[in-house]
Amino acid sequence: MTKKIAVLVFPGTNSEEETLRLLRACGGDAHLVHWSRAALLRDFDAYVLPGGFAYEDRIRAGAIAAHDEMMDYVIEGAQAGKLVYGICNGAQILLEAGLVPGTGEVRRPTAAFTRNGPVPHFVCTHVWMKLAIDPQRSPILRGLERGALVPAWSAHGEGRLAATAEELRALRDGGHVAFVYAHEDGSVDDSAIPNQAALGCAALVNRAGNVLAMMPHPERDGWTFHHPDRRRGNAMLEPSGGAVLFRSFVQAVNA
Amino acid sequence: MASAETANVALRPDELRRIAERLGREPSVVELHAFDAQWSEHCSYKSSRHHLKTLPTDGASVVLGPAEDSGILHLGEHDGERYGIVIAHESHNHPSQVVPFEGAATGIGGIVRDVLCMGAEVIAVADPLRFGRVDDAQSHQRYVAQGAVDGISAYGNAIGVPNIAGDVYFDERFDDNCLVNVVAMGIVKESEIIHSYAPKGAGGWDIVLVGKATDPSGFGGASFSSLTLDAADEASNKGAVQVPDPFLKNVLMRASYRVFGYLRERKLTVGFKDLGAGGIMGCSAEICSAGGYGATIDLDKVNLAIDGLKPEVIAVGETQERLIWVLPPEITADVLRIYNEEFTLPQIAHNARAVVIGTVTDETRYVLRHHGETVMDVEIDFLTGSIRDELPYAQPAPSAAEERPLVTGVQLDELLERVLAHRDVCSREPLYRRYDSVVRGCTVLPRGAADAGVLAPVPGAPLGVALGVAGNPRYAKLDPRLAAEHAVYEAVRRVVAVGARPIGLTDCLNFGNPRKPDHLGEFVASIAGLAQASAAFDAPYVSGNVSLYNESAGGKAIPASPIVACVGAIEDVAHVVTMPLKAAGSVLYYIGRPQNALGGSVLLDVLGRHEAVLPRIDYDFAAAQHALVLNAARANLLRSAHQVGNGGLATALCEMAFPTLRRGRAPIGVQIDEPWQWTHGAVGDLEALFAETGGFVVEIAAADVEAFEGLADDVEGVWEIGVTTDQPVLAIDDEAFDLHRLRDVWSAPLREVYP
Repeated sequence: MTKKIAVLVFPGTNSEEETLRLLRACGGDAHLVHWSRAALLRDFDAYVLPGGFAYEDRIRAGAIAAHDEMMDYVIEGAQAGKLVYGICNGAQILLEAGLVPGTGEVRRPTAAFTRNGPVPHFVCTHVWMKLAIDPQRSPILRGLERGALVPAWSAHGEGRLAATAEELRALRDGGHVAFVYAHEDGSVDDSAIPNQAALGCAALVNRAGNVLAMMPHPERDGWTFHHPDRRRGNAMLEPSGGAVLFRSFVQAVNA
Repeated sequence: MASAETANVALRPDELRRIAERLGREPSVVELHAFDAQWSEHCSYKSSRHHLKTLPTDGASVVLGPAEDSGILHLGEHDGERYGIVIAHESHNHPSQVVPFEGAATGIGGIVRDVLCMGAEVIAVADPLRFGRVDDAQSHQRYVAQGAVDGISAYGNAIGVPNIAGDVYFDERFDDNCLVNVVAMGIVKESEIIHSYAPKGAGGWDIVLVGKATDPSGFGGASFSSLTLDAADEASNKGAVQVPDPFLKNVLMRASYRVFGYLRERKLTVGFKDLGAGGIMGCSAEICSAGGYGATIDLDKVNLAIDGLKPEVIAVGETQERLIWVLPPEITADVLRIYNEEFTLPQIAHNARAVVIGTVTDETRYVLRHHGETVMDVEIDFLTGSIRDELPYAQPAPSAAEERPLVTGVQLDELLERVLAHRDVCSREPLYRRYDSVVRGCTVLPRGAADAGVLAPVPGAPLGVALGVAGNPRYAKLDPRLAAEHAVYEAVRRVVAVGARPIGLTDCLNFGNPRKPDHLGEFVASIAGLAQASAAFDAPYVSGNVSLYNESAGGKAIPASPIVACVGAIEDVAHVVTMPLKAAGSVLYYIGRPQNALGGSVLLDVLGRHEAVLPRIDYDFAAAQHALVLNAARANLLRSAHQVGNGGLATALCEMAFPTLRRGRAPIGVQIDEPWQWTHGAVGDLEALFAETGGFVVEIAAADVEAFEGLADDVEGVWEIGVTTDQPVLAIDDEAFDLHRLRDVWSAPLREVYP
C-alpha cells in the first residue's frame, strides 16, 4: 500500500506547493498539513518540512517552529523510525528540534544553520551538492549513485553550519555530513560554498539515517524547464535534476 | 467644525469650499481627512487623468483594462481553461526616501495585494529602482540604496513570491528623491476573476475587513505622497510611512487562496479589494460606489492594535496587510472561520483577524459611525467621483541641431573597461542575489539569466509568461518624449529576446511637480511617447500608476521617469531563449541598425562628452526584427539571444560570454569581424560597438545558418558580425581582450554597495 507523506505548513512556510507537486510527480502520496490541524500528522508515514520563514525566523531560523505542536508528532515519528526530510527552513527546524544530528536531547540543538558568512545577508544562487557519504548510510539516499552531484538553489540568510570544534569533528567522523557544496564538475573547494558553512556542509543526516536536513532547494531545480542545459531532448514538464532526491525519498517511504 | 489647518490636511482652499458647498455645512474632522485622502493626487489622479486617457488600453489580449486594482491580460489556454495574467505597477518613492527599508517593503506588500484581490495567485514581483549617487559610504543616498533593496528582499522572500525582473540606475538627480517602483504579477483562470466592486444584488451584504489590527501608522499617507519632500518635514513624515508585516501577509495570502477555493466550489460572485491609500474609508467607499451602492461602516467594530484611536485615524490610516471583502451574509461565518480559525490570524499578529465592520447599502451615501455617533455622512459618488485639475503645461523645447563628430582618438581597451564598469552597465548580481528568484518552483529564467524573467505559471502546462522592465533616465534628461518611446521599446525588446510575444504593458510615471508648467510639460510629452510606442507595438496598457511631486524643497526634481513593464506570452517554454553563449563555432548576428546618435549613451558619459540627439526608433523596422526573433525562437534556431541596450553591442557580447567563464565549464569567446564591413561605413567602429540603438545579438549554430538566413531574407538590418570561439577572449578585428579581466571589471562596482 502506498504510504502517506505529510508536507508540513507552519505559519510563514512558503515552499509547500512546489514541494508537494514534485513529491507527487515522483510517485508520493503527499498532502499538505497546516499548523491548525497538527493532530492529523499522527496518521502519516513520513514527513517533509519545506522551506520558508516559519514564525518569521524569530530568535533564530527554526527555533520557534521546533516547539510547534506539529513537531511533537514529527519527533515521535522520527524516533519510531519514520522518514523525515527537511529542506532549507525545514532543515533549520530539524536542527533546532535536535533531530539532526540526533546525538543529544530532543529540542536541545548541538549544531545550527545560522547567519551566513562572510556577509550576513540572504543570498539566492544556484549550487551543486555532492553526496559525501555512502548512499546506503540512509534509506532516503539509497536511490543515489555514490558521489552523486545534485543541482539545487541555495536561497537563505541563515544556512551556515555552526557548532563547536568538537561537535564538528563528531559530525564529520560520524558520517553526518551527507552533502557538501561542489562545483559543476564535482570539484570541491571553499569557493563553491555560498555561506561559509563549516565542513562545506549542505546537508546533514542523523545517526539512524532516517532524518535528512538539507539547506539548498532541489525542488527548485527539479523539472527540466528549470534548467536550460537539460532542455534539449527532454520533455520540459518532466521531473529531472534535483528530483533524484525526491524520487529516492519516495521510494524509501514506499519500500 | 474643523479647519484644514488644524486638521493638518493638504486640501486647497477651493477644494474646501467645494466640499462645504456640496455638504451644505462645514465638514467634520473625519470628513476632512476622508476628502484629503480621496482627492489627493495619489487617489484621484486629478491633474493627470485627462492626459492618461490618451494611452491605448484596448486590444485582443486585454481581459481587463485599467479600471480596478490590477489589469488582466490573456496568456493562453490549457485543458480548456483560459488563463489570465494579472498585473499591477506602483511606486513607493516618498516613503522609501524617508525610511527606505519599510518604505520599499510596504511597496511590495501593497502591490501584491492589488494582484491578490483579483482572485489571483501572486506569482512574481519586479523592482525598477532609481537611486542617487552612492559613492560615499556614509551618505543618505547609500543608506537609501541599501535599505530599499533590503526591504524588498525581506518582504518578497518571506511571502514566497519570486523577484524575476527589475533594473537599477544611479544618478545625482535622484539624490533627494529615489524611485522605488514595484510590479506584481498573478495568474488567474479568466472564469474565476474577482472584481473590486460590490456585485449586482449586494445591497445588505456584509463588509468584512481582514488582516492586521488597525494602528496609527500610515496616517496621512496618500496626501504625503502627493506633496513635495521637504527635508525639514522628514521627521514628521515618518509617521505617514506604514509598517510592513510580511509574516502576516504570508499567512493572509494563503488564507485568501483558501477562500478563493471556497468561493469557486460554490460558484459565488463577491467583491474583494486591497486597502491602500485612504485606508478603510477609501477601500470601502470605492468597492461600494463602483457597484452603485453606498456603505455604512461602524468604526467600533474595527479590530484595533491600541485603544483610543481617533475616528479619523481608524478611517483613513494606512495600516498595512488589510483587505476588504463584500460577502453575502450566509457565507460570512465560513469566511471568518477560514481566516480566524483555520489560518489562526489572531495568533499570527496581535489582534489580526477578519471581522464584519459594516453593510453595503442601497442608498448611495457613505456613512461612518463611531461611539454611536455619525462622524461622516456624504454622497458616496461625490467622495469617490473623479475630480479634475487642469493645470497649464509647457512642452519641452526641441533639442537644437548639433555637430556630432565621430568618436576617435580613444583606445578600445580602455573604453571597453570604462563602459563595463559604468554604474548603469556593471553587473547587477550583487543586488539581485538578495532576492529569491526561484521560490514557488515555477521559475524558468530567474533574474540575471536573460533580458526578461520567465515563469511557467500553470503547473503541468507548457505556457510561459515573461516580464521585462525598462526606463532610461539618461535618455529622459534629454528628451522626455523619445525616452518614453525607448522605455516601451526596451521593455518590449527584453520580452522578445527570451522568445515571448509582447501582449501588454503597465507604466509607472514618476515626475516632478505638476504645478510647475515645465514639469507637467515633461509628463505630457512622455505620455505622447508612451502612446505612440504602445500603438506601434500593439501592446496596450492594462494598469499603471502616477507618482508626481518627486521634487525636493530646493526645487530639485527628478528627470522625467516613465518606467514601463512588458508582459510576454510563450506558448511552450521549450522555446525559451537564454542569454549565455552555448557553444564555440556558432555564427553571431546583430539584428539592428547602428545610428550615429550617441545622446544619452554610456559611451558619451564615460568620455565626458555631451550630445542631445537620442537614437530614433523606426517602428516598422523594429516590428519586423521582433517577428524574426520570435520566429527563429519558435523554430529552435536561437542558441542564445540578448537585446542591445546600455553600453551597446560590445557590452551585449561580453554579457553573453561572461556566464560561460564558470568553473567546470568550457569558456566561450567571441570573434567580431571588422565592424565597417557590416556597417558599410555608415558610422564609425566605436559607434557600431557602443551606440545604444536597440536590436539584438543572436547566436546561431553553423548548421542552422541557412534556415536562419531563410527566415531573415526579407528583414532589413540583419548582419553577420562574427563567430564564437573556444578561447576566453573578446576579439575585435586584430585586438583581443581577456574576458576574465573584463568580467572582473564588470562584476566589481556594485559589490561595494551590496556586499
